[in-house]
Amino acid sequence: MSLIEIKDLKVHYPIRSGFWNRVTDSVKAVDGITFNIEAGETYGLVGESGSGKSTTGKSVVGLEKVTSGSILYQGKDITQRRNRQLLDYNRDVQMIFQDSLSSLNPRKRIEDIIAEPLRNFEHLTKDQEKLRVLQLLDIVGLDADALYKYPHQFSGGQRQRIGVARAVATNPKLIIADEPVSALDLSVQAQVLNFMKKIQRDFGISYLFISHDLGVVRHMCTNIAIMNRGRLVEVGTRDDIYNHPLHIYTKRLLAAIPDVNVSERAAHRAMRQKVEQIYQSNRHDYYDDTGEAYPLVQVSPTHSVALPPELAHQLLAQESEAQD
Amino acid sequence: MAENFAQHSNISAADLDRLTREAQAEATPSTARIIWNEFKADRPALISLFVVVGFILFVMVGALFIDTPKMMETNIVNYFNRPLTAGFPLGADAGGRSILLELIVGSRNSIGIALGLTVISSTFGICWGLISGYFSGYVDWGMQRVYDFMMMLPMTMMIIVLVTIIPHYNAVTLTLIFSIFYWEGTSRLIRSRTLAESGKDYAAASLTSGTNRWKIIFRDIMPNISSLIIVDTTLSFAENIGVETGLSYLGFGLPSQTPSLGTMIANANDPNNITQYWWTWLPAALEIIILCLAISYIGQVLRRAADASQRQGTAD
Amino acid sequence: MWKTILRRLLIMIPEVIILSILVFLLAKAMPGDPFTGSINPKADPEQIHHLMKLNGLYDPWYQQYWHWVVHLFHGNLGNSYQYQEPVSRLIAGRAGNTLWLALFTMILTYAMALPMGVFAGRHEGQLPDTVIRVYTYVTYCIPFFVILVIGIWVFGYILGWFPTTGSISPNANGWAQTIGSHLTHILLPGLLGALFGTVNIVQYLRSEVIDAKHSDYVRTAQSKGVPSKDIYRHHIFRNSLLPIAAFAGYSITGLLNGSIFTETVFSYPGMGLLFVNSIIYRDYTVITALVLIYGILNLLGTLLSDIILSLVDPRIRID
Repeated sequence: MSLIEIKDLKVHYPIRSGFWNRVTDSVKAVDGITFNIEAGETYGLVGESGSGKSTTGKSVVGLEKVTSGSILYQGKDITQRRNRQLLDYNRDVQMIFQDSLSSLNPRKRIEDIIAEPLRNFEHLTKDQEKLRVLQLLDIVGLDADALYKYPHQFSGGQRQRIGVARAVATNPKLIIADEPVSALDLSVQAQVLNFMKKIQRDFGISYLFISHDLGVVRHMCTNIAIMNRGRLVEVGTRDDIYNHPLHIYTKRLLAAIPDVNVSERAAHRAMRQKVEQIYQSNRHDYYDDTGEAYPLVQVSPTHSVALPPELAHQLLAQESEAQD
Repeated sequence: MAENFAQHSNISAADLDRLTREAQAEATPSTARIIWNEFKADRPALISLFVVVGFILFVMVGALFIDTPKMMETNIVNYFNRPLTAGFPLGADAGGRSILLELIVGSRNSIGIALGLTVISSTFGICWGLISGYFSGYVDWGMQRVYDFMMMLPMTMMIIVLVTIIPHYNAVTLTLIFSIFYWEGTSRLIRSRTLAESGKDYAAASLTSGTNRWKIIFRDIMPNISSLIIVDTTLSFAENIGVETGLSYLGFGLPSQTPSLGTMIANANDPNNITQYWWTWLPAALEIIILCLAISYIGQVLRRAADASQRQGTAD
Repeated sequence: MWKTILRRLLIMIPEVIILSILVFLLAKAMPGDPFTGSINPKADPEQIHHLMKLNGLYDPWYQQYWHWVVHLFHGNLGNSYQYQEPVSRLIAGRAGNTLWLALFTMILTYAMALPMGVFAGRHEGQLPDTVIRVYTYVTYCIPFFVILVIGIWVFGYILGWFPTTGSISPNANGWAQTIGSHLTHILLPGLLGALFGTVNIVQYLRSEVIDAKHSDYVRTAQSKGVPSKDIYRHHIFRNSLLPIAAFAGYSITGLLNGSIFTETVFSYPGMGLLFVNSIIYRDYTVITALVLIYGILNLLGTLLSDIILSLVDPRIRID
């Protein structure tokens, strides 16, 4: 059984308009997505801003009111608040936020910030609690003298470590990492990512890793889902997505990764232009008449893509030809 | 589970005391301390604070030694005694009552009511604003409609009508009546700041840390707007001094046997008093002016100090 | 736009209904009955009982309320016991004075506040700015009625520049003298009211001007060589004009509230003074009518401001 099973999840925001202010339409932030996260893995959720990936993450951790669909954890649907309370759900599922400054209460000392989930979910004595906080600080690589300081006294990277320490405090099974490094300098990004990996190994945590940066995702994730306008357009292993992309949206995202190798700049540019050309001319093949993505079809045991079945298989054939 | 953490960290229970001490040596002063330090640096503000607090203590204690019913007895012999005559440093009014003693008891009553009003209306307004701002949706909508309705009511008129309806009112009922109408400004201010604060990630992080919503409102969000609360409360205290005295001036506040700064200023309603017997009302008017200016000044400096601590708080 | 206004008006309806019920119940709760004093102090209790019954005063409150509302819609606000004349006529005679004074105060307020605000913002940090800021700070802190009392004492009694009571001199003859006398009577209360009313506008305008001064579009205009006078007139001032116009609606509440004090201090025969006198004489019909009128005027003021603001910034439109 998977750690978490997300089934046909929908989060719609109503648009009110007209004289009586009735709900006339809705913004479909998340529009029917299904995927599972296995224990111990890092599941990547990729998409441009506004694609609904953050909303998905917030739904999984219980911060978002879900319109329909279910999220199963230990056989219970945790989209219901009662079930979350019953399971002490957030003891097992925690979150790391993108903006490290805003996610730490500026008026609280670091000790109180890290101890907050401990105080709510575990009943420790004062000394046990303090010891745990000190150990957590040590694990994320901060000194003990951070204990009585305030968040603003730390750098962005250090603050993100504090955020990780808080998320790890109750030894959770899953951590939703919502763009955890996008706000950090490149040099700091690698540090934070590596120690997130280390913590994963040490504590056996799963990540739902949400990012728009395919480079970072490749470094972190074993399974990846590509999200576009509230729907999944392609799901697969790292190899499926990076080496055999089928959907034009995935191809465009991949083409947009900057290439550090200067000598191949022209080739890279040509490739990008080719992808863009296919997108411009064949857009209607990849999306249905209303401009929405098609339902997913499976093309291999691990790989699914949101295309009409004939087109998917045709593309798959082309792909394998090109490989040969 | 605890072993799990111990395994991956070099820190054990033996280090606890040493590390705690080290951390305490590095502790950062709290925001309240920073604000106080900023405030202390402004000498006029500090003097204002001492004067205001000293004056309030003086009238509170001084009034205890004055026999009010006896003081309020009419004594024709001293009719409009001029200031600086024997026994009447500030003169006497039409009833031969000592203006100085009336001033002390009146100040006690007026300031007491203003303090009570500030405590009740600010507490209510803060809670209202926090709840309305944090729980958006129907709760907020309903609370906003109540707010709109309260704003429509002609305040002074409603208070006067209520005062005439209640048969035996005293300082406490009067304070409660005022409180019904003076929480709106605070609630509006607090609501708009709460809206901004509750959208920040730390509120969401507290929620996922298992903290319940009420605790998030009062323990997470409220401390973050505490400087606004301090400043607003100080400024409304200055404003509230005008509420009871204004109504008493019109004759609908404290009953006439109970001296108040407002009833004393009402002496000015008589064209003779206002020019000829100026000492019957001018001291009370001056006292209100000085008190209000001093308290507002303290509020202004507090705001500056709070802004400064805010700057330190967000400095990267 | 029209939808917004219409929706606002619809929201007002329940508010006005609740207000009227509240006012009606408060009037009912006032001590005494309307007849004991009005007919004959020694009137037979039996007779009063009969009169009460005749006037439906023993009916359940909602029936009485309904009667009252029906009468309201016929423009019948009842009779004043103190003045022995219809409340509608009584109030109509006073409303003019109050509204006239309010209008005058508002004109003075804007006439004083606009130049002060722009001037303070333009000379930010210099002496005139400091003076204006101290002025707004002081007038903001001091309770309004104290300003009125000190004002009438200094300018009315000691200096004798202005009349201290009434709305017109009894000796005024002819239309020129009448208007002149009216003006002199409202000049001091109007000025003092304006003194108080300018604070918000001056502070708002000042900060707007300071913000605008450091904005890119003003810098661009400056670097193109537009004279600074034109920059202030065409670029900065015009942008702040509508929000400032919106203050007018909100300030109606303040002016009405203040009218009770102003008219008492200056013995100025308007609705505020009428209210105070009616309270003293327990003239309930007048009191209910006045509270209702003031409430509705408050509502209209807020509506006006909201509409102006929604013109300025579509995001503020009330939904």
